[in-house]
Amino acid sequence: MCHRRVVESNQNPDFPNQYLPQREQRQHRGDERANSSPAATMPPPLTHPLFSPPELSYTHTSLLLQPPIRPDARTPTQFRPIIAETNILPGTNGSARICFPDGNEAVVGVKAEVERSAGVIGSLLRKGGRGEGGGGDDNEEEGRKGVGENAWVELTIEIPGLRDDDALPVFLAAMLNEALLASGDLVDRLWINQRWHWKLYIDILLLSPPLSYPIPLLSLTTHLALLSARLPRLISEADEDPLFDNDWEASIHLYPRHNKSSEPTPSKPTATKPKPREQPPVTLLVTVVGENIFFDPSLEEIAVADLLLAVSISETIDDSEPPPEPKPTTTKPPRNIRLLSLRTIDPPARLTPPGVPDALNTAVTQAETPKNKAATTDADVDYSGVWVPPKGGSKRKLIGRIIQMVIEHGGVGEEVLEGLEGVDVG
Amino acid sequence: MTSLKRTTVGDPHSTNISSKVFVRSTKSGKVQKIVRELYLRQDIPCSSTLCTLCLSNAPADANGIALEDLRCLCSIPALPFILSDRPAGTKAFPNGHYLVPDTNALLSGMDLFEQTSAFYDVIILQTVLEELRNRSIPLYNRLVGLTKSEEKRFYVFFNDFRLETYVVRDPGETINDRNDRAVRRAVKWYGEHLQQAMKAAGRTKRCPSIVMLSDDKENLQKARKARIEACSLHDYVSGLADADLLLDMINELREGQDARASHGALLYPEYFTKSKMITGVKAGTLHQGLFNVSPYNYLEGSIRVPAFERALVVLGRENMNRAVQGDAVVVEVLPKDQWKAPSSKIIEEEALNRNENADADEQEAVVTEQEQRALVEEAKKTQGKSIERYPQPTARVVGIVKRNWRQYVGHVDTTSVSLSTSEGRRQQTVFLITMDKRIPKIRVRTRQARELLGKRVLVTIDSWDRDSRYPIGHFVRSLGELETKEAETEALLLEHDVQYRPFPKAVLDCLPKEGHDWKVPVNKSELSWKDRRDLRDLLVCSIDPPGCQDIDDALHARLLPNGNVEVGVHIADVTHFVKPDNAMDSEASGRGTTVYLVDKRIDMLPMLLGTDLCSLKPYVERFAFSAIWEMTPDADVVDVIFTKSVIRSREAFSYDQAQRRIDDMSQKDQLTVSMRTLLMLSKKLRKKRMDAGALNLASPEVKVQIENEASDPVDVEVKQQLDTNSLVEEFMLLANISVAGKIYNAFPQTAMLRRHSAPPASNFQELQNQLKVRRGLELRTDSSRALADSLDTCVDPKEPFFNTLVRIMATRCMMSAEYFCSGTQTFSEYRHYGLASEIYTHFTSPIRRYADIVAHRQLAAAINYEQLDSSLHSKGKLEDVCKNINARHRNAQMAARASIEYYVGQALKGRIVEEEGYVMKVFSNGFTVFVPRFGIESLVRLGDLAVPEPEATFDGENYVLKTAGSRTETIVLFEKVVVKISDQKEESTGKRKVRLELVRSGSSL
Repeated sequence: MCHRRVVESNQNPDFPNQYLPQREQRQHRGDERANSSPAATMPPPLTHPLFSPPELSYTHTSLLLQPPIRPDARTPTQFRPIIAETNILPGTNGSARICFPDGNEAVVGVKAEVERSAGVIGSLLRKGGRGEGGGGDDNEEEGRKGVGENAWVELTIEIPGLRDDDALPVFLAAMLNEALLASGDLVDRLWINQRWHWKLYIDILLLSPPLSYPIPLLSLTTHLALLSARLPRLISEADEDPLFDNDWEASIHLYPRHNKSSEPTPSKPTATKPKPREQPPVTLLVTVVGENIFFDPSLEEIAVADLLLAVSISETIDDSEPPPEPKPTTTKPPRNIRLLSLRTIDPPARLTPPGVPDALNTAVTQAETPKNKAATTDADVDYSGVWVPPKGGSKRKLIGRIIQMVIEHGGVGEEVLEGLEGVDVG
Repeated sequence: MTSLKRTTVGDPHSTNISSKVFVRSTKSGKVQKIVRELYLRQDIPCSSTLCTLCLSNAPADANGIALEDLRCLCSIPALPFILSDRPAGTKAFPNGHYLVPDTNALLSGMDLFEQTSAFYDVIILQTVLEELRNRSIPLYNRLVGLTKSEEKRFYVFFNDFRLETYVVRDPGETINDRNDRAVRRAVKWYGEHLQQAMKAAGRTKRCPSIVMLSDDKENLQKARKARIEACSLHDYVSGLADADLLLDMINELREGQDARASHGALLYPEYFTKSKMITGVKAGTLHQGLFNVSPYNYLEGSIRVPAFERALVVLGRENMNRAVQGDAVVVEVLPKDQWKAPSSKIIEEEALNRNENADADEQEAVVTEQEQRALVEEAKKTQGKSIERYPQPTARVVGIVKRNWRQYVGHVDTTSVSLSTSEGRRQQTVFLITMDKRIPKIRVRTRQARELLGKRVLVTIDSWDRDSRYPIGHFVRSLGELETKEAETEALLLEHDVQYRPFPKAVLDCLPKEGHDWKVPVNKSELSWKDRRDLRDLLVCSIDPPGCQDIDDALHARLLPNGNVEVGVHIADVTHFVKPDNAMDSEASGRGTTVYLVDKRIDMLPMLLGTDLCSLKPYVERFAFSAIWEMTPDADVVDVIFTKSVIRSREAFSYDQAQRRIDDMSQKDQLTVSMRTLLMLSKKLRKKRMDAGALNLASPEVKVQIENEASDPVDVEVKQQLDTNSLVEEFMLLANISVAGKIYNAFPQTAMLRRHSAPPASNFQELQNQLKVRRGLELRTDSSRALADSLDTCVDPKEPFFNTLVRIMATRCMMSAEYFCSGTQTFSEYRHYGLASEIYTHFTSPIRRYADIVAHRQLAAAINYEQLDSSLHSKGKLEDVCKNINARHRNAQMAARASIEYYVGQALKGRIVEEEGYVMKVFSNGFTVFVPRFGIESLVRLGDLAVPEPEATFDGENYVLKTAGSRTETIVLFEKVVVKISDQKEESTGKRKVRLELVRSGSSL
């Protein structure tokens, strides 16, 4: 397989161009890490799927069917079951762990540190610049709008066998970070007062080698860790140097809960309308094969995908709206889901070796007359049943459909968030 | 997937592990979540001697010796366990009882627990101890002290580490509730455990009760529900024998709370929040400093802050906002139009608010009418005056960083006690007037008001709420009748925080076993002879005040063949006996200095060392640390060596004896000759020092003569300065300076030095102005040399004492000298202003000063005699030592002065003397007079001149106070006056003090 070709033909701007050359360089260097860890030199299976062309062709074909047949017999929107737990790291402000059935496992820890804001005046000027006319009478909340800075969140990913400056973790981190910062809501939560803020460190650790593209795993785990994250309760006022309650039990969730009774939120008079609460983002991985759309793709599916898409969404919970009348039907009220970002990921299918049709296969055609061979042209060859790596590109309409499927009422987004809600986040 | 979380099921050890989570804010502003794992165990003993179970289970100590074995080893049946098997019983608990106080009980009744009449066999729970540490460090330290004393039988039970008594905090439960529950659980466990232990031991005796003491109603209620013996501190004490006495010791804090809540009238502004203060201080909008109250005017406080050159003045009760002398406060500077000149009026609390009712339940104002009037007059005066009389920045207190409340000595205000109530035992509120005039009256509730009248009592302040004009405190103990020597001496020691308790056993254990029989070993191969020079053949002698027992220094001089002179200063080798970091060393470090009172000496080191083994007594061999110089006959130092040595002093002279011996030309023996040499050299040294700009600030010292221990003092005399005084002084200075240089070279970062910083010019402003206005003299203060020279010119040919008077006043303008660790200052700051020396330390009195002990150790290390102890390498530790000994030093001086003052008063008791005095300070309604004959300074109020009080006009710019009307006098600063001295018991402080009455002023002299 030729890396060079892939790089040249790479039209996807999201794919870091230095990715493959860098990897080659390191392999050429033949450094000492090769001895210590074989995983370090072996490319991760997700970028170099180890499937033969017939295997790829088989999977591809069955996914093209109407209705498609997935290798594990799931429906296109069905997710694999996950196991999740939160607050597993006592020393962190919030943490979570998720296991995928394919053996992928990640742990996320969130730590917060008090930091002095660099330019007081700067942040004052920006104040309100990003603020949307949400229409609120609570001054403090209003003052918080748009005061956060992106530098207040630092996200790092550690993947076994990869260096922290390798392209994959850097790229994944950038993608997750983008979703976290997209609405500016998270950083605004970190604002303490005009001179101080919380600095949030999100440390993501993939416990297993990346068996499939880990973005959904990491994103879901981060989502849960952020939901479980708590910050010490502020007891000083206004712009004073912050002082905090030293009772951890009194700490406050970074993302406040539903009106659970146990939550020690400052009691507000009931007259004021509670603000809509934005939840941490979730990034889903979607593949497209032909016209078919698949959620939560497995490794085989990714290997043959025409298009690989990371879709980040977040939910805003508006407690102010009166809960709709309980209808006799079991349908749930629609969730307020918003699309945050959309990223195409270079599908590894393009790196797979193409299959060779019998017509061109000298091993097969050897018995035939040599003149035949000369006459054969590309157009004549029958490619059906032979693996051809996809060239990339997809239709607008298709992407539109994906977004629709994610955010619509009763769609995949709601299903995922509902599933995550089942996890006790403390 | 199996959970990674630690679960409570399945794991057999899981119940032994728990964790504790809290948020910690560090000084640097970091906020961290801290998780501590707790390993619960079952072998923490209950420490009751009734229990054999725990004894056999108890874990072995670090040496692997189990408590049970220890018991066998020592063959003392009850050694390792603390709680008595026969605890005292009360009416309510006839079987005897162990007490388990909760945190509130300790906060409000710490004085009770220190009583010797009750409160034995107390179990202090770890939960309580930790909570107490968070609430009050001083109380915590006292409690720890109690747990260490064996006779009180206080046992710290680590209930949070014992499996059975550990409680997990329930969701939604507050920390306090959890802790209360932990206390109840521990009490319950103790009860059950003891029952079990008794049963196991087959004892028939009834089991002692475990009694929880708490002042929290809810806690008591819950305890009763859980069938735990519990009672409030008040109820418990009421059942004891001397209930009245003990009840008074309960902190007023809680008791009064409910009652006073109804009052509602808030007299004082609220304090800022802690975070607001911190932010303000950091931003420079608020200032932090120590609050000082003027000794002349209790309504005027001052705070020195780095941002202002002059102290900030706090005027009036409202601005002082409940700050008490010594508190660390945060202040806000008032706008410039409210700045004022410092007051020129004496305002004393008892004179203004004489007949207040302490039980004042009616609305009370912060500022009484009288106070208001005094302040208004003051304000008028400042405004009428020309602005040139430097208005000072004023400020108001907005918060307290740290209270420095201690125990105060005082006496009950007679007028506040209502004697009419014939029931007697009724609790009433009285005012307690402290000896320290800067402390406000303290409101104390007591049942023994009548007994306490005329007694010296010890009280503490408990709280000062916004709705109370005066702080509220409680009575601790009575020291005895006013004006008895015992009571007054103890009062004096307490007021100056002098540790006067006898040395504990641990300290005495550090003394050499031989006791008084200790001798310098004969055999020179002994370890203590190593690196020690044998100087026993030198003609060494000591010169000290008469009757001196702790002789730290001795001298010798001999001519060298080359015409130079060898001079040796030999200092008692205290560090040979006091090794670093043992009990004796830490005790000495804590005491810091020996305190000399007129009739008593409070030693820093045990008597055995101070007056015998270390003391360089004549005719016996002693270890010494010697500094030996080679000097030219012109007193130029050629060479110096330092060495540990052994000397034999030939004679111990008093200054007087030495002087006579030197003067007696018939004496031609070698010792006398060498003393003459020393005297000659010392005069040259002195001249050199004076030329370098050293100040001569000696003020007359007064000595009180006492015939014997028991009798009252008979006479007062001013100490005479002899040549021999300055002989010793010069060589001690030389030794100190030489040693300072040596240890600084060896340890540039951690040498123990002493410095005297140059006073800021502003300190002298007032005196300069006074001299200029009154005498047309100029005082130059740009250097110590200039000051010394200009002080020499301040003479009045008609008034020989005038020069001394100016020197006394100049001394008061100066900074006080202080010990410091060399690494904390730059070299230029090392200077000793008064001695005009580049560098200085204290080396020559290790028996009575701890700084000298440190210097000895450092010098010993500098000459490679021994290794330097690690504690003397640490800048931080040395800084702490310096801080402590600086404070102790100051206190010792003040205690000594107060003692002299008391005895002068006693000596004058019943006598009336007319004496000459000099006006030192003029106020608008009085003046102070200094009487050199007795070394006393006292205030003469206008009201004392005549009745009715004469009208007065005060000319502040010329320092003249003219009276008219009932008596016509002109009081002028520096002028000689004749005063009648009599003794008088001062109403306000209960001290017997001299009272001065003006006989003639300068104008009529």
